Amino acid sequence: MALTELNFEFKPGSPKTLVDEWSHVGVVSSGDLEVLIEKGNAYEGKAVIRVMTTVLGFDSVWETVLKRIVETTGLSSVKVSINDNAATPAVVKRRMQQAIANGGGLQ
Amino acid sequence: MRVEWKELQEKSFYQATARERAIGLVDEGTFREFLGPRDKMVSPHLIVLGEAVEFDDGITVGVGKIGAHPVFVVSQEGKFVGGALGEVNGAKMAYTFKLAMDCYEALKEKYGSVPEDRKPIVIVSYDSGGVRLHESNAGLVAHSECMEMFWKMQNKVPNISITASSIGAYGAQGFVCMSGDVVLANDYGRIGLTGPEVIQQEVGKDEFDASDRALIWRTMGARAKYIMGDVDFLLPDTIGAFREQVMQIAHMPMAEIAKYRHLGTPDLVEENLSVVKLAGEKGFNDSKDYWKYMGMKDVEDIPEMPQEKFLKIAKRRQRGI
Repeated sequence: MALTELNFEFKPGSPKTLVDEWSHVGVVSSGDLEVLIEKGNAYEGKAVIRVMTTVLGFDSVWETVLKRIVETTGLSSVKVSINDNAATPAVVKRRMQQAIANGGGLQ
Repeated sequence: MRVEWKELQEKSFYQATARERAIGLVDEGTFREFLGPRDKMVSPHLIVLGEAVEFDDGITVGVGKIGAHPVFVVSQEGKFVGGALGEVNGAKMAYTFKLAMDCYEALKEKYGSVPEDRKPIVIVSYDSGGVRLHESNAGLVAHSECMEMFWKMQNKVPNISITASSIGAYGAQGFVCMSGDVVLANDYGRIGLTGPEVIQQEVGKDEFDASDRALIWRTMGARAKYIMGDVDFLLPDTIGAFREQVMQIAHMPMAEIAKYRHLGTPDLVEENLSVVKLAGEKGFNDSKDYWKYMGMKDVEDIPEMPQEKFLKIAKRRQRGI
């Protein structure tokens, strides 16, 4: 195992942004992850995502899951930082939804 | 970040995350976190080893208020690497104690002596297996720093230990937990120096069967510790119940709080050794033997009965206080 860093940048069709300045959910336990969303002017119109994961070889799965979340919610003008310890895609989606809700939703 | 403080008061302490516990233990809206997730101070050692990291390194530390008392809170997250103490989270923990001491000194300077209704308080919610073995030396240093700060805080800053989460307080955190002035627990609290698996591995299954959950709980669990006098208050499993108890302790004078202390003086060493002597003389092999000796009936039912009933029938070891 080695820690892998993945970087993504998505531009949703109908961009919205977080109500609050920032939001954080989750604990990096086995099969789980933490999500930190921070608003920033530098990320205007796009979602900049950085993932630190212990699992190798799932880059395209991460890309598909995160891209779909950004497209359906319109999450943008944010930096998303994820620390992952082998979470499944369903857990990733749920934690992203929780993080958005915890930040007051999108507007 | 949005947290509903009122909902937290009703929430199970056992199920709450470290951050929820820290926020819920102090007055509404008063908690300020030091080095929170946005500061992204992760363990450099875990990165080198290719292990998962967390932005708060598995601990939430900060300051809040209960009435006029400044309350310094340390809350460990057992789900991240077993809550074990490494370099970063250990430094966060020890430095929070240092800030509590600084606060005490500042108040002393301002008022001449620290007013009873404004004395700083330290709360630690333990949920840790001890030293994080990935960064063992740094973890051990952190423990000794905590113990040094506890020594400096003695008879000045009340130090409240809580063990009410899934891991409990084990390994080096076991004695750090017992070094607090007052120990609070719910039914899920556990305190021990060596964990069940390690005892079995080192001394054998005849000595301690780590697969026997009932044996573990009646030896190291909160109810057994409450009867032995190691846990001072056994509480229902809500964050609100713990906050209420902390408030009551906050109103006590420091001299009274110090009477609950379990370790640290020759008299207390004598008191603790007398229990060991008694166990040897009477040939206790199991907690149940001690419970029977204390005059409790239905010892088989003690671990399972509702907490309210247990608190009524529990016959506790008389301490020197």
